[in-house]
Amino acid sequence: MSNIGQVMMWLGLIGVSVSSACYLVLCLKKENVLVRTAARMSFAGFALSVTVASMLLMHFILNHEFLYSYVARYSSRDLSLEYLISSFWAGQEGSFLLWVLLGSWLGILLMFKARDVEPQVMLIYNLNNIFLTILLIKQSPFRMLPIPPPDGQGLNMLLQDPWMVIHPPVVFVGYAAYTIPFAFAIAALWRRDYDGWIRSALPWTVFAFVSLGTGIIIGGYWSYKVLGWGGYWGWDPVENASLLPWLAGTALMHGMILQQTRKKLRKTNFVLAAFSFILVIYCTFLTRSGVLADFSVHSFVDLGITGWLVIFMMAFLSISLGFLIARAGDIPVSEKGESISYFSREFGLIAAIVVLCLSTVIVGLGTSAPLITRVLEKASKVSTEFYVNTNLPLSILMLFLLSFVPLLVWGKNSFSKLTRKLTWALIGVIVSGIITLLNGYPDLEVPLLSLGVLLLALLSGGAAGMNLFLATKLIRKRITISGAAIAHLGVALMFLGIVSSSAYDRSEKVRLVQGDVKSAMGYDITFNGPTFSREGKGMRLHLPLDVKGMGSQFGARPDIYSERGRDGQVKRFSHPHIRRGLVTDLYISPVDYIPGEKKSHSGSHLNLEKGKKVQFHDYELMFSGFDVSGMMGKKDAHDMSVGADIEVSYKGGEPVTLKPVMAVGQLHSPASRVKLPGPQEAYLTLVSMQANAKTVVLVYEGPEPAEDKESQEEPPAIIAEVSIKPGMTLLWFGTFLILLGGCIAIPRRWKK
Amino acid sequence: MSKKSYIIGAVLVVLAMIMAMYSFRSTLTTYVGVREAKVSRRPVQVAGIVVKGSRRYDLQNNSLMFTLREDSGDEMEIEYDWSKPANFDDVTKIVSTGKYNPKRQVFVATELLVKCPTKYEQRVKGQ
Repeated sequence: MSNIGQVMMWLGLIGVSVSSACYLVLCLKKENVLVRTAARMSFAGFALSVTVASMLLMHFILNHEFLYSYVARYSSRDLSLEYLISSFWAGQEGSFLLWVLLGSWLGILLMFKARDVEPQVMLIYNLNNIFLTILLIKQSPFRMLPIPPPDGQGLNMLLQDPWMVIHPPVVFVGYAAYTIPFAFAIAALWRRDYDGWIRSALPWTVFAFVSLGTGIIIGGYWSYKVLGWGGYWGWDPVENASLLPWLAGTALMHGMILQQTRKKLRKTNFVLAAFSFILVIYCTFLTRSGVLADFSVHSFVDLGITGWLVIFMMAFLSISLGFLIARAGDIPVSEKGESISYFSREFGLIAAIVVLCLSTVIVGLGTSAPLITRVLEKASKVSTEFYVNTNLPLSILMLFLLSFVPLLVWGKNSFSKLTRKLTWALIGVIVSGIITLLNGYPDLEVPLLSLGVLLLALLSGGAAGMNLFLATKLIRKRITISGAAIAHLGVALMFLGIVSSSAYDRSEKVRLVQGDVKSAMGYDITFNGPTFSREGKGMRLHLPLDVKGMGSQFGARPDIYSERGRDGQVKRFSHPHIRRGLVTDLYISPVDYIPGEKKSHSGSHLNLEKGKKVQFHDYELMFSGFDVSGMMGKKDAHDMSVGADIEVSYKGGEPVTLKPVMAVGQLHSPASRVKLPGPQEAYLTLVSMQANAKTVVLVYEGPEPAEDKESQEEPPAIIAEVSIKPGMTLLWFGTFLILLGGCIAIPRRWKK
Repeated sequence: MSKKSYIIGAVLVVLAMIMAMYSFRSTLTTYVGVREAKVSRRPVQVAGIVVKGSRRYDLQNNSLMFTLREDSGDEMEIEYDWSKPANFDDVTKIVSTGKYNPKRQVFVATELLVKCPTKYEQRVKGQ
């Protein structure tokens, strides 16, 4: 059978290669309309092939064509539309395809925006596309299985969240966008136009900053909302992989502004542009090659592309270094004699760039620790303290800069003129100081760390006051120029949120027994008893709670989802319940569930022994034998099923025989649920069986009769962590302002 | 900017890097076996499975206790203060980072990493 998707990828590779060849001709020779048209058309052909390939993959996913290994691995029949769509980028191959797809669309835009530097810019931009397309052909999402399974394995439960639907596309737009400043930088070196490129590349850099930033923030928000550990950033290699290019890119963005207005930092900006792009590839290498397999929550497997990633990284590194070295003597240095005053915007920007670069290097060092140490001795990783300890002084420095640098003008500043404006920063420091001290001196294990956190809180307050004043002033003047001030205000608020939510969060762990009122963190919490529901391939345990206190009363619904994986391990996902507030969030995370002890059955699980009658609620149940007709005549283990004959009588009525069935194969089809006799909505599901011991385990879903609760010897209980997290709203609002500020700045930079 | 300020800047950057390297060295944790973990003075990482039925909670001390068994069969008691989710069940592969407390004969974990096979690991038979 021909594989049309794979054919499309090859067509795409041919298109992008021809396009590059034509652009190379244009770079080396004079303008030729025919060649330029050919270059553009073949790029459009590439974009079209990739688009068709993506539509095909989406089509296969939506139509459950499990003949395609990728579709079988990441989707299943029971998924709703939005999660079917996100199955597209749930795996490695699909996410590379998404990256190429978004890159090809951005490329079309770039082609028409690049104007006279088009040949060089598109040539460099295409190199990255060639690289990604080769990876895609090597590791294709269109690989087929010899025999299509009846159903797919479904989407990882953790990814079944609306935020995770949009997170990957946003991140990949950012990844694709960081290629553009790099392409402009190399093109500039090529054409010896050392200043002109800034104007064209700056809006793209701000765009990349906004898109990757949005992706990172969505990731953090998802982590807070879904993972249940109460945090939003864990310094996991995958998180760091998106942070690194973003930090370097932010340094680049500031460098470009300095060069545009003051003709400084020419060389630095070339290095930074190369740095932020190569970091994208380096981080892809770190997270996709399996080198960090033992060190991340995500267990990566080497899919055979490590070698390619290293080759491409080296190629781009040599291109960058080659061009830089070749042109190093030619790049004009900033005018001699014109020294930078320490108290100027220039100096502040340079200091900010240094701080951002240091942070990039340090986070990069930490993330690469397993690689570095592998060479020396045993592969080791650094603990999260490393990142906190090193980034704390850097952020203090950053917020210190933010509390006065935005006020400064280019060139010489006189301190006396600023004093009046600086009162805003002072007010911020005082307000933040009062609030901090009312809540107590930060109590951390290391005294120096506490002092640092206090300092960070004060300076964040100062920066917030300062930039709030500046933003208000600029918005009144002309909103288009207020982007930076808004983003800087966002940074200050975000850090205030980080400080308050990490240094001032309080939590308590409690055991909540069904029916008992327990107080925790000033709230009275009652656990109303569990209910189960089948969901996807697993079981969701709902843990409804009544929460009373602080003048409010509400129902909380944390839950624990569990699912047995193909490797036989049970995976559990605790979902917290978050009660958001303007000042504090109440975060209730279920840690564990302890089923109550019952005489004949535990929880809603029923263990039935062959031939023995069991009384359960209003039913009398008896397991009379296995039904193996589902095993006969089936060659493939995937299709086999086993049933159990259960005789049930409702309230002493006539017994009926129910036949719940369970699939045997690895990729089991959604287990069948059988309705129990009687008027109520009650069901039985066969979950496991032991042929030797002649027992079956069934799950009961339905109403729990009131009198039944008393017969329990020990009611079920949950262990929950109840925490109060102050400042989360401030944190999310701050991140929103950072992105908003970026968005405001893009059109302004575009016009210039 | 004069030459002097460049030197000052360079010195500051070098100082920052020295501090970072120091922190890097001191927070580095290596993978070791249970036996080695019991004598190590530095924080280490130990990987293994959770022994079935060994998981229990100590609400007085706010901690989660369980027994970890590594591939060689060696076992060790682990105490964890649950600052991150304990999203694991019995027989789950787990990596714990921390230090052994010889007095109480328990490994005090500061970090638990549940090896959940995420999107990157899935494979289908016959591929």
